[in-house]
Amino acid sequence: MAGKSGREISIASNKSALSRVLSWEGALVLIFIAVNILGVILSENYTAANVLRQMPRYLAEIFILFPMGYILILADIDISVGSIVCLSATMACFAGNAGLPFPVVILVCLLVGLICGAVNGAILAKFTELPSMIVTLATQIIFRGIAEVSMGSGGTISYTNSADLIPLTTMAGPFPISFFGVVIAAVIFIVVLSKTTFGRKLYAIGSNKTAAYYAGVKVEKIRFIVFSLAGLMSGFCALVLLSVLFSANTTTGQGFEMEVIAMAVFGGIATTGGKGNLVGGFIAAFIIVCLRVALGLINMNTQLILVIIGLMLIIAVLMPGISQRIKTMKKMAKQS
Amino acid sequence: MAEDYILELKGITKIFPGVKALNNVQFQLRRGEVHALMGENGAGKSTFIKVITGVHAAEEGEMFLNGKKVRFKGPRDAQAAGIAAVYQHPTSYPELSVTENIFMGHEIRKFGMIQWNVMNQEAQKLLDRLDADFSPTEEMGALSVAQQQMVEIAKALSTKAKIIILDEPTAALTQSESEKLYRIVDQLKEEGVSIIFISHRFEDMYRLASRVTVFRDSQYIGTYDVDGITNADLIKAMVGREITDMYPKPEVKIGKEIFRIEGMTRTGYFKDVSLNVHAGEIVGLSGLVGAGRTEVMESVCGITKPNAGKVYLDGKQCRIRQPLDAMKEGIILLPEDRQKEGLILNWGLGQNVTLPIQSELAHSGFNDTAAEKKVAKQYLEEVDTKAVSIYDPASSLSGGNQQKVVVAKALAQKNMKVVIMDEPTKGVDVGAKAEIYAIMGELAKKGYGIIMISSEMPEIIGMCDRIYVMCKGRITGCLDRNEATQESILQLSMEKGNTKKEVAQG
Repeated sequence: MAGKSGREISIASNKSALSRVLSWEGALVLIFIAVNILGVILSENYTAANVLRQMPRYLAEIFILFPMGYILILADIDISVGSIVCLSATMACFAGNAGLPFPVVILVCLLVGLICGAVNGAILAKFTELPSMIVTLATQIIFRGIAEVSMGSGGTISYTNSADLIPLTTMAGPFPISFFGVVIAAVIFIVVLSKTTFGRKLYAIGSNKTAAYYAGVKVEKIRFIVFSLAGLMSGFCALVLLSVLFSANTTTGQGFEMEVIAMAVFGGIATTGGKGNLVGGFIAAFIIVCLRVALGLINMNTQLILVIIGLMLIIAVLMPGISQRIKTMKKMAKQS
Repeated sequence: MAEDYILELKGITKIFPGVKALNNVQFQLRRGEVHALMGENGAGKSTFIKVITGVHAAEEGEMFLNGKKVRFKGPRDAQAAGIAAVYQHPTSYPELSVTENIFMGHEIRKFGMIQWNVMNQEAQKLLDRLDADFSPTEEMGALSVAQQQMVEIAKALSTKAKIIILDEPTAALTQSESEKLYRIVDQLKEEGVSIIFISHRFEDMYRLASRVTVFRDSQYIGTYDVDGITNADLIKAMVGREITDMYPKPEVKIGKEIFRIEGMTRTGYFKDVSLNVHAGEIVGLSGLVGAGRTEVMESVCGITKPNAGKVYLDGKQCRIRQPLDAMKEGIILLPEDRQKEGLILNWGLGQNVTLPIQSELAHSGFNDTAAEKKVAKQYLEEVDTKAVSIYDPASSLSGGNQQKVVVAKALAQKNMKVVIMDEPTKGVDVGAKAEIYAIMGELAKKGYGIIMISSEMPEIIGMCDRIYVMCKGRITGCLDRNEATQESILQLSMEKGNTKKEVAQG
C-alpha cells in the first residue's frame, strides 16, 4: 500500500550544530566557567587542588541526583532519599561497630538503601492511584524515624573503626576517589538514559503514561526499578558521607532531596516529566559544588549561600520561558 | 440588501505566526436558518468560528450583525450581541452542578448574593425546553457526553443567544443521541434562533441544514443549497479531488478462523462476550456508546483484567495479562483516543512508530536509532502520512494524519495477526477517512483479521463482512454483510422494550 502521493519523509535530523551549542547544556558550561572565574577572583585559595580536596563532602548527594533525574523524567518525585541516606548511614555504623568486615558494612549500607527504595517502588507500583509525593513523604518520616529510634536518646552514632573508612577518602593523584565514583555513575546513568530502550521508556512514561502502557511498556515495573535505584544510590551517598563525617545523626541527609531536585531542575529536567537529560543535571551539580566551595572559601554564611542557589534556580526555571518569548518575538518581527 | 442576513462576514483574513488560517473568506447566515459549515480538518472552520465569537480578532475583513457593522474585542462582546458557541469538547466544570454550569459567568444575583432557587428554576425551564432527562442539580461530570452537550446548549439559551454555533455536535454521540440533538436543533430553528454548525457527518447536514458553506485550505470555496447538491459534489468541494469509492471494500477470500474470544466477562462492564474473526475478514462491532465495545477489546488486549474469558489465536489459547502479551501474540489495538492512548504527542512521529518495537530492534538494550529511522520512514510513507520529517511532533498533525501514524505504529509490529481498530475515523476528515478505509481493505487482502469498533453506521455497513452488535455489555446479534441495514443494527443496539419507539423516530 505504498503512498499514492509518493511523499518522502525525511529522516535527517533538523538540529543544526549551532542550535546544539546554544542549548541549555551549552549555557550551563558557560555558567560553570563563569563560576570558576568568580571563584578565582574571590579567593586566592580557589585552586584546582583545593577545590578537589574540598569536594567529597559536596559530592555525596550527586549520587542521588542521577536516579532523581530518572524519577523526575517519569513525572514522579521522591522526597524520601534524604531519610534513606540517614537510615543507611546509621545501619552502616551499627554494622561497623559490631565488628563486621568493611565489605560487609558496605553491603549493609547499600542493601538498606535498596530495600527502602524498593518499599517506595512497591507501594507506588501496587497502588497506582497514590501520588509519589505523598507516599515518599510518608516514608521520609518513617525511614528517618527508624534511624532515630535505633540511634537512641543521643541522636547520634559514630563509626568507631574509622580506619575502615580511610580507603574511601584516598586521593588518586589530585582527585578524591569519590569523584571517580560520581563520574562512573554519571556515565552509566547518562548512557542508559540516552541510548537504551530503558531510557526511552522513561521518557515515554513521563510524556504520556497511558500511551506508553498501551504500547506495551511495563509502566509499574519500571517505576519500581527506578525507585529502587534511588534507594540504592542513596546507599552510595551514605557511604561517601560517612567517609567524610565518620558518624551519622538525626539530621544526616536532611534536605538532600530538595538539593538534588534543584540540581536536576537547574540542569533542565522538567518536574512535569518527559523532558531534559542528565548531562545538564551533571554540569549543574558541579556549578553548585564549585559555587559552594568558592563562597565557603571566603567564609560566606551558609544560609546566604543557599539564598544565592535559590535565586539561581528561579532564574534557571524561568529561562526556557524567556527564550521561547524571544524566539516568538523574532518570528513576529520577521513576518511584519 | 435583498436578503435578510442576521450575520454576514466579508473578506475575513486571519494570520497566525507562519500561517494564513483564513484567507479572504465570506459567510452569510440568514435569519432562522440552519447553516452547515464543512471542510477538512485544518480548513479553517474552527478559526472562523473563533473570529465570529470574538476569541480571535481578524486582521482584515468586516462583520455585520443585523446589517450593522460590528467589531468584537473579546468573547464577552459576542455574547452580549447574542452569539453563543457550543464547542466540540464541552468546556464545562465537571465538579459543579448543571445549574452552576449553565449560569457560569452570568449568575442571577440579588444584593450580591447568588439566588440558587431562582437559578435552579430557570435551569429547569431551559432543560424542559430541550426535553432533557436530568435535573439541574445533578453533577456535570456524572452526565453523558450527549447530556453535557445539552447543558452547553441550555447555557447558550440562557444568554438569550440569537445565533448558536455548534462545533461538531454529533462527533461523540450515538445515532439515537444524534436524533435527539436533531430534534433540539429543529425546535430552536422554530423559535427563530439561527444556527451554524460544523460537522464531518453528511447525515447531519442533510437532516438539518438548508444551506452549506465549504472551506478548503483556509479559503472560501462556495455556498450551496443542500437540496441541490450531491455527496460527490460536496466531497469534491471539500477535498479538491473526487473520491470515487468511499468504502473500497475489496473482494477477499475469507480464510480460516484466526481469532476467537469466548465468554469474556468483566463485572459491571460486559458479560459473556464471544466472537470470532477469519483471515481477511473485517468484522464490525457496533452498538451504542457505552455498550461495552471498547471495554471488551481492552480486556482482550490485556489493558484491563477480565473476570472470565478465553482468547484463542489460530486455535491456540493465549495467556494475556498485560498489553505486551497481546502485542507479542500479534493482537494489536488501535485505541479510541489517539491523543491520550495512541500517541505521545510531544514526541516525533518516528519514535512514536517504533516505541512498541524498539526492544526488538535494539542490540542488548541499546537502541538502534538507524534501524528505527528506517522502519519509521518505511511505514509512515506506506500509510502516506502528511509530514515533512520523522522528527515532526505528533501534535502538529491533523486528526486524520495522527490516525495514520497510529496505523503505521501497528504495521511496524511484524507479527501482527489481528488488528482491532477502535473508532478509527472519529474526528477524521473525509479525505483521510477514505485513505484509512483503503488501508483497512489492503490489510484484509493481506490476510489479517480486522475488528472495527464504530458508532458510524455507514462505515460499519460499508466496510464490514460481518457485524456484531452489542447492547448493555452483551452481544445481541451478528449480522452478515447482506442483511445489515441501519435499522437492523439499531434494533439490536436498543434494549428490548423501547426498540420500536426509537426506530420509529429514527
